[in-house]
Formats: sequence, structure tokens, C-alpha cells
Amino acid sequence: MSELKNISAALKEKLQAAGITKYACSISEGEKQELNTEQSKFSLFRTIFSKDASVTAFIDNRKGTASGNDLSDEGLQKLVDDAKAGAESSMPDDANDIAEYQQPEEFHNGPYEADMERFYDRLVEALDTVKRDYPRILLMQLIASHNKRHGLYMNSNGTAFEWWDGNYDTMMEFAGNDGEKTTGLGYGSVIMGDLEKPILDQGPLRMKLADAEKSLDTVSIGDKFEGTVIFTPDALGDFTYTLEENFISAGVVLAGTSQWLDKVGQQVASDKFTLRLQAQDDRLVIANPFTSDGYKAENVTLIEKGVLNCHLLNLYAAKKTGRPLVKNTGYGFVVEPGDTPVADMIKNVKRGLIVGGFSGGEPGANGEFSGVAKNSFYVENGEIKGAVMETMINGNLQDVFRNVTAVSKELVSDGRMAFPYLATEGVTISGN
Amino acid sequence: MLQDIITPQKSRFADGVQTVMRGHENRSRGVMLLNGSLVHNARSESRGISARVTKNGRYGFSSAAGYTEADAENVLRAATENALFLDARAKEAGRSYPPLAGDLVTPWRPIVDFEQKRLIDACKTVDAYVAEKYPNLSSRRIVYREDSQDKIIVTSDAASGHVTYPRCYIYVFLTAESKSGAPVELFKAFGGAGSFEDNFGDLSSLYPEIDKLYSQLMDKAEGVYAEAGVKTVILGGMMGGMLAHEAVGHTVEADLVLGGSVAGPNLHKRVASDLVTLIDYANTAFGETVPLPVYLDDEGTLAKDMPLIENGILTGYMNNRETAQHFGMAPAGNARAWDFSDEPLIRMRNTAIQPGKDTLEDMIASIDDGYYLIDSSNGQADLTGEFMFGVSLGYEIKHGKLGHALLDTTVSGIAFEMLKTVDMVSSNITWSSSGFCGKKQPMPVGMAGPEMRCKITIGGR
Repeated sequence: MSELKNISAALKEKLQAAGITKYACSISEGEKQELNTEQSKFSLFRTIFSKDASVTAFIDNRKGTASGNDLSDEGLQKLVDDAKAGAESSMPDDANDIAEYQQPEEFHNGPYEADMERFYDRLVEALDTVKRDYPRILLMQLIASHNKRHGLYMNSNGTAFEWWDGNYDTMMEFAGNDGEKTTGLGYGSVIMGDLEKPILDQGPLRMKLADAEKSLDTVSIGDKFEGTVIFTPDALGDFTYTLEENFISAGVVLAGTSQWLDKVGQQVASDKFTLRLQAQDDRLVIANPFTSDGYKAENVTLIEKGVLNCHLLNLYAAKKTGRPLVKNTGYGFVVEPGDTPVADMIKNVKRGLIVGGFSGGEPGANGEFSGVAKNSFYVENGEIKGAVMETMINGNLQDVFRNVTAVSKELVSDGRMAFPYLATEGVTISGN
Repeated sequence: MLQDIITPQKSRFADGVQTVMRGHENRSRGVMLLNGSLVHNARSESRGISARVTKNGRYGFSSAAGYTEADAENVLRAATENALFLDARAKEAGRSYPPLAGDLVTPWRPIVDFEQKRLIDACKTVDAYVAEKYPNLSSRRIVYREDSQDKIIVTSDAASGHVTYPRCYIYVFLTAESKSGAPVELFKAFGGAGSFEDNFGDLSSLYPEIDKLYSQLMDKAEGVYAEAGVKTVILGGMMGGMLAHEAVGHTVEADLVLGGSVAGPNLHKRVASDLVTLIDYANTAFGETVPLPVYLDDEGTLAKDMPLIENGILTGYMNNRETAQHFGMAPAGNARAWDFSDEPLIRMRNTAIQPGKDTLEDMIASIDDGYYLIDSSNGQADLTGEFMFGVSLGYEIKHGKLGHALLDTTVSGIAFEMLKTVDMVSSNITWSSSGFCGKKQPMPVGMAGPEMRCKITIGGR
């Protein structure tokens, strides 16, 4: 029996001894090996050994959770005691529950053991490539890690999931810099399941480095106009996440503040827009195999050709509101690609922006947004004229997704999520 | 509180390297009531040991989720191996940084634990007050959050000590319907450094501020859109604090200066009007303890105040030991780590723009057509000093008097340009400390500002 299985057995005994008959627990252990560079030189090598445990106790429909990283006998006892005290202090709520019995299952995803020598070589190659291919990039920091984690989930309905997860993760922080001018900060990251290909050739990294270099050449927009906006995959990711938070998530349904409370089955976006949450998808490296409620996760389509299929409700939210449960963790966003090449999308813009990032106030529940377009380029008569500074965009999230005119055939996956480019109309663009 | 098993490890520190070992425990407590239902009820503790070993300026770091002598030995060995791995592959010669004063620092701030029931009951009491007094709200959320850090820091060539950072907050979120039927929201955070009893012994002391928050929300429900463009505004103290932290503070973190921030070419140059002085305080300001006092950082540097802008001139950066050596400056205790498994990074502590001599009343009376921007929902800034803040609460100023409240909007600009337009500064400042700064790791930070009259670009519709 593995050490984790021994620990879970000890935990189960302590829960029973405490008289807790309804519970859910998770235990995991992991190791991260992380290399950092500063100004393109290796500066830090970090090795982290971690352990975690979490216990949720249910007593008469009251719920308490305790978590920690002390997996000794005393540490486990404290978790059980704290979870029990938390539940006893809590308020009864019929919606507090765990998933019914699920078939026990093991989940394996990604390279569990690291090849740090090869990873180091791939990172040296990436640093050399940046220097050679992107001479006007100042690579401030690169953080690259191999992450492995092994865990167990069990609950009092007899469900037991065991999982092993491994991946290589690389994040770059950079700016365009020609010695005199500097651009705003740029970030790019990619999660990899293997080291077969050069790191820079994956995900959005090359595109983002090239855009940062181009951002040194700026143009000024003097006026305010309503135009076309093409969101890059990164920016679309941000807007899609905000859309989900503001209109679809459990939080806004429970609070009653979603403006899509009664829109299931109705057209809420353009028929060019399809949004999925993937528990497992070949286009992603990360897998999200089971939910914190104790369900094996399923792939879910939130919006199909513009029609809202469901809200993203966990077990508590579903029982509380009487709406359908969704067995998904809420990660693994994929917006389905369209059939228009990005180059054609740009050619079709009379006047507008390619928006690579957005720095704005969090939109209110009504979806109104206003903020600065970051890493963005001005387009006129189908030609990119240059990068913009101090340019604001504002509009309404719902309108952004209703007014879609094209979705690119190119899909960019960073290993966690995958998004295409998306063109939309009706966003107000204000120059400085 | 952590027992000191770290100090005896000093005898194992190797020669020819620079070593910092840290025993570290983080604790959090959380409760959330949403419209009276308890939707979050959790306690968490994480404890471990880390070691950072530096060989010729190259860092090896390791941590383990355990707190035994064996864990300490293991992380020391792994950190040393990691430093040697990098040093062996380096193509250029590195250098060590100079030793520092070797004091022992032990400020006494107890971390006091309370039963979860007490925390839930406090939230229920506040929730009942809001629900009963303001039944017309469309939604209400009462959140309790407590986090604390307990660290024992032992170094080979700098100061050592045992430091604690307890803090706790109650957040009140209120949502109402605007006249157009769309929801509008405001929130306020109560609390600060210290434990539950220090901050919430008398919950009724919160009620006048909750009443004020409700009143402001009703104003906002009747609010209007701001007119877009460059406007004369008064930034409230919370907005001033956000500006100090986001738009200026990050650009003068030495690691970001090395990354090309706008502060690099502007050292010793004018970056603001002479009414603007900015200091990153360590533990005491204006004769009082700051919201989140720091006495010793995680590299063993004794914490001191770090002046950044003096009368409009950029005078310094925030450093760790390595960047301080690079820039020829003295480190002031800005290298901090969030969790036991985190390495220290250059972080702000309590960053504040100094008060001036004006009154808010005079400042409002001086504006014919502008805005008073009181509170911010979020903020972001860039290496270039280009910033954006969400404005969650503000009012029109018309002919020297406050007018309609504003719906959510944003302000933006370039910090070192906008700060040159500051021409009135109030004599009081407002501190806030309830959030986290994000930079690879989260970190509690304090920030403060006075009211400032300036010109700024405001978004609109």
C-alpha cells in the first residue's frame, strides 16, 4: 500500500472515531523543480517538496472544512477536530452535500518524472532563440518548472479517485526594448506534456514576443470612434473568463445578480461563438478529471452556437437554486475555432484595433467594461498601422459576444486553455 | 507559535556560501455568508522549512512541508546542490554580496486563535444588522478572512529573528438595483493587523461605516456615467494609495528597474510636482505603527523606511541584497516571501504619499467641473508607468460642490506625467491594507495617500 493510501486509511479511522459519518477528504504530495532566469541568466534553482490534506465534515447538513500540510498522526487528528468543530459551528443547509457513489478510478496525466537535464537544455535553447530571433526583446524573467503531484480523493459514499499528474511549465516576462524606448510588460506561458519540440515553438510564445517587439513602433489615435476589435487568443481568454464569471458562474446565480438567470436555451451570443469547458481534450495538456463535489468530470458546452446551454453550477449551487448540476471543475476553457484566417480578419477591418490585453476595471454585473487596451495595434483599411499607447476601449460584454463577425481558424492552446482570434463590432475606442 | 528548531541548524551552514534558513507557518481562516447562507467555512494551516544557499550570486532554494530536524537537513542539502548545479553551468564569474549587521530581531506580536464559531457568529451578527436595516438590497455578502505568518529566520551573514504578521478583516459587500435595473455594488473592508479580538471586539463600531456605505450605494444606484476625457479630479486617499503602490511603487522595485522600467532613466530626476513625497515605510509612520509593520525581511535585512520620491524627485529604489549591490544602494528590508516554499522577492511594505496642507473642502470648492474619485475596485500598472484603476465610488463636482454619484468607471494615465499635475494635497491620509499584491507570490501590503487634486484621463461610456 502506498504511503498516501496508509494516510487515507488513518484519516478514515479518525473520522469514524470522531463520529463523522459524512465526509470528503483529499490528500496529495508533490515535487516542483523550478529554474529561474533574470535578464536571461540562470539565477535560481528551486526544489519544493509539498504535502497537503483537506477534510470536509458534514454534521446534520452543517459543513466545515480544514486543510493543512501536516500529515503526521497529530496533524491528521487536528484536521478532523477542526473540520468537526467547523461543521458544529456552522448553520444547517439542505444544499450541503457530496456526490453519490462513483466508480473508483485512477487518472494519469503527463510526464510524472522530470528530465531536468533535457529541460535545462531546452531552456538554454529558448534563451538563445529569443536573443537571435527577437533582438529588441528584453527577457526580464523566465520561470520554468517540472511539477508532479500524486493524490487521493475519497468520500463517505465510497468514492475513491487516485491521480498522478506531471507537466513542464514555462512562463516568460518580457518587454520590447530598443535601448531608448520600452514597451509595457508582456507575459507568455505554455504548459507542455513533453520536451519533443523547442519551447518557443509552442503555444503563444513566438506570437507574443513578436508583438512586444512591434509594440516599440507606436502610432497615435487622436479621436474616439466605434470600430472593429479583434481580440487575440490571450485577450479573448480574459474576456471569456469574465463573461463566465459575470453571467454563468455559481456565484452570480446564487446571488441572483446574473442577467442570464432565465436565458438557458436562448440565444445570448453570436451563432459563431461556442464555449466549452473540457475535463479532457487533446488540445490541452492539463486534465481536470474530477470535481471537488466528488463527481468524475464531464466535458460541458456552456454556449453552443450562441445558445446558453446551462449555468456552471456545483452541487451546492444546483441544490440551492433547483437548477441542473454541472459535473465540471470550471477550468479547461476552449472556444471553438471558426473558418476565417487571421490575415483575412485583419484585411476586413475598416478601422479598429487588434487587442492583445486589457487593463480595466472589473465589469459590473451588467457587463459594462472600460479600460486600457494593452499590447494592441491600430488597423485601418485592412493594414496594421502600429502599436497604440494610452488608448481606451469600452463597451458591454454581452454586446462583444453578440456582435461577433468572425472567429479565426487558428486556435492557440497554452496547454491550459485554447482560444482563437475573435472579431467583434461596436466597441468604443478612444485615443489619447 | 513556531518552536525554534532553526537556530541550531546554523552549525550545519557550509563555508563559502551565503545561507538563509526559514521556519515558516501560514494560517488562514475564512467565512462567507451570501444572503444569509454560509457558503464558505474553512480553516487552513501550512508549515515548513526552506533554505536558500547562494554560491557566487546564484541561488539554490529548497523547501519541505515538514518541521523536523530531518526536514531542515534535507532542504539545506537540496538547496546547496541546486546552487552548485547553477554555478557549475554559469559562463560568467559571479559575486557574493556584502555581509550585513547581525542583530537578533524579535518583535512580539502574538497570533491568537479563535474558534470558528466565534468567527461565524461575528459574520451572522453583521449580516443580521444589514438584513434587518436594509431589506431593499438585492444581495449582500459578509466575508471574514484572516491570514497570519510566523517566521523564524536564521542567516549566515546578516540579522536573524522571529517575526509574526497577524491580520484579519471583515468585508461587507452590498448590491442594489440601479434606476436602469442593472445591479450596482460597493464594498468596504474593516480590520487590519492583529487578531480577531484586536479588531472586532465591538462589532457595533462597524455599523456607522456600514450605514455610510449603504448611503453611498443608494447614491450610486442613482448615479450617472462620467464624461470621458482629461478632467480635473480629486483622488481620494484610497485612490492615492493605489497610485502609490501600483503606478509608482512597482516601477521602483529594483528587479523591475533592471527589467527596463521607466524609473531606470529617471533616477534623481523630477517625476512629480514638488508637493509629492513617497516613502515605503517599514514599521512606523507619523509616530504610529503602520498597518502591516515589517521589522526583518527574509534575507535577514533589518527593515528601514525607503524614501522613493522626495519633493517630486525620484531618489531611490526598493532592493534586495543583490540589487542593492548592483545599484550601490543600501537594502532596506524589502525581500519578502509569502509561503514557506517561496523564495524572497522584492516587495513593497507600507507605501504612502505624504500629506500636504490643504483641506478637502477647499479642494472641492476650487473645482468648477470635475470629479471626486473616492474608492477603487482594482488597479494595474505597467513598466512604463501607464496605469489603470477601476473607480467604484465617485461624485461629480459642479461649481465647487459635490453632484451626482458616478457609475463604475476607470481612470488611466502615465504616472510620472500625471503626478506632475498634482497642485493640491490634503493634510490627512487614508491607509488600506486588506488586499494582496500579486508578483509571482501573493503578499499583504499597506498603502496610503492623501486627497490630491490633479488632471487625469477618465473613462466614460
